[in-house]
Amino acid sequence: MKERNQYIEIEDFLADESFRLWMKSGNDHDGWEEWTLEHPSRAKLVEEARLWLLAMKVSESNVSPDEVDAALQKTWMKIEKVEQERKMEQKIIQLWNTSWFKKVAAVLVIGLLSFYTYNNYFVEKGNSYYEQIIANTDDDGLLEQINNSNKPQIITLSDGSSVLLQPKSKLSYPKIFRGNERNVYLSGEAFFEISKNPKKPFFVHANEIVTKVVGTSFRIKAYAEQSDVEVLVRTGKVEVNSKKMNQKEMVLLPNQALRFERKNQTFDKITDITKDKSINNSVQSIEQLSFEFTDIPVAQIFKTIEQAYSVEIDFPKKELKNCHLTTSLSDQPLPEKLKIICKSISENSSYTMNGNQITILSKGCN
Amino acid sequence: MDLKNQILHNVVLDDNELWLAMKAGDEKAFSTLFKRYYSYLIRYGNSFSPFSEKTQDCVQDVFTDIWVYRNSLSDTVVVKAYLLSCVRKRIVRSKERDKVFNKSKSVDAIAFLFDFSVEQQLISDELTEGKVKHLNKVLNFLPARQKEALFLRYHHGLSVDEVAGVLNVNYQSASNLLHRAILYIRKEWKGSFVLLIMLLTNWI
Repeated sequence: MKERNQYIEIEDFLADESFRLWMKSGNDHDGWEEWTLEHPSRAKLVEEARLWLLAMKVSESNVSPDEVDAALQKTWMKIEKVEQERKMEQKIIQLWNTSWFKKVAAVLVIGLLSFYTYNNYFVEKGNSYYEQIIANTDDDGLLEQINNSNKPQIITLSDGSSVLLQPKSKLSYPKIFRGNERNVYLSGEAFFEISKNPKKPFFVHANEIVTKVVGTSFRIKAYAEQSDVEVLVRTGKVEVNSKKMNQKEMVLLPNQALRFERKNQTFDKITDITKDKSINNSVQSIEQLSFEFTDIPVAQIFKTIEQAYSVEIDFPKKELKNCHLTTSLSDQPLPEKLKIICKSISENSSYTMNGNQITILSKGCN
Repeated sequence: MDLKNQILHNVVLDDNELWLAMKAGDEKAFSTLFKRYYSYLIRYGNSFSPFSEKTQDCVQDVFTDIWVYRNSLSDTVVVKAYLLSCVRKRIVRSKERDKVFNKSKSVDAIAFLFDFSVEQQLISDELTEGKVKHLNKVLNFLPARQKEALFLRYHHGLSVDEVAGVLNVNYQSASNLLHRAILYIRKEWKGSFVLLIMLLTNWI
């Protein structure tokens, strides 16, 4: 540090703690006042330095002593936590340094690795696909329905589409479809009847494949533990894509089916579904039932629906006793079917749906 | 007044004593250092970020690390400069982490957003007030880094070497930063000051 007699720049004064103290608190411990008056040229510099200091105020931060105490308390807690973690680490390091542990760990690691490799490359189960997709999707607020019963369950989506979820299957879907796409996620088997909306295509993500539809009905079988994924179309047209991009998309028309072999990641189109055993075995009642009705009593139509969708329909039997309908409902989701039936019965008939319980309100047909 | 001065003179000595005691595992010494510097560090840290909660966390983490790793710390540090430097580094790191998470593309280092204010209580006449206010404006117009260098050098009383350490630059750069700041202020302030005087004298 320079002697103050050699101070020639503002900086010299600004950097002098004793000078700053004198200026700010008037505490002239080192006789600054006397020193300044000794020389007129000094006074000028000192005055300028004073202005600088006055313009460089740093307002005190308003941390109260209580707050400082609280912060100190918090810091000690943090320290305790960190020290505990370090102790754990040290223990692990000590353990690691004992000779037997390394061997056991090595064996374990090799074992786990081979198990993992086996699972991934030889078995190709990928049963966590569903969880992965769900975890990666941006849609918060997905609803999940899991069918643990031994009967199919009907799910009605916000767009009026219906999904018949088979036992041991689950479906995740948003409460309301936003944006330009309708995305749902399936693990297991389900029969979809999609309400038509070309502006908002419907995507079913199931294991490694994505099925795109505009409006149609089809079945997807994608159990996590099974080696194949199957898609079968009943009405309309769908496009199926593999998530691994090396496959071309496949287009399916009514009564065409497709099998995706998870082991080779290849598509296998099945043109004649009647000859395919696997597909035929799992044909659900909904696909066998005809929804073409010609002068059929309403009660019987309801029975067909009950059977197809595993629902219960409660309707005023007396009032609808003599009602007969002629209608084609093949290509409609369940809510649409019910709407059409109600409208056909009479203008003021309506239905309510609560889970698998449907109630028809009507005072008889026209 | 005398008491305050004594305290001031004892600080430097005390700091080093406390530091050594803390290094030897003295919890009381640690607490004393904490209480002494906590609000300074908060004030400095808040100059970079409007989120004071984060600053508090950073400062507390700095102290946590100091205690946990006290055995590996150097015996001879200027405690104040060391603490300021640690806090700054921590804030830079936490900002970088935020950037990674927010996927922000900006690669700017942290900016010193602090503004100097005017020592109103020590000003009695209007002429001085006018000069000081103007000087203050010029000061606050400085680039963030120069302002920070001034703050560290003339508010916290760090040496140029220590300023360089906190700002993580070499001695020459720190010295240049300070020098350029002073030069700029001189030029701006003097220039307009002369103009002001001339205007005033004409008017009179």
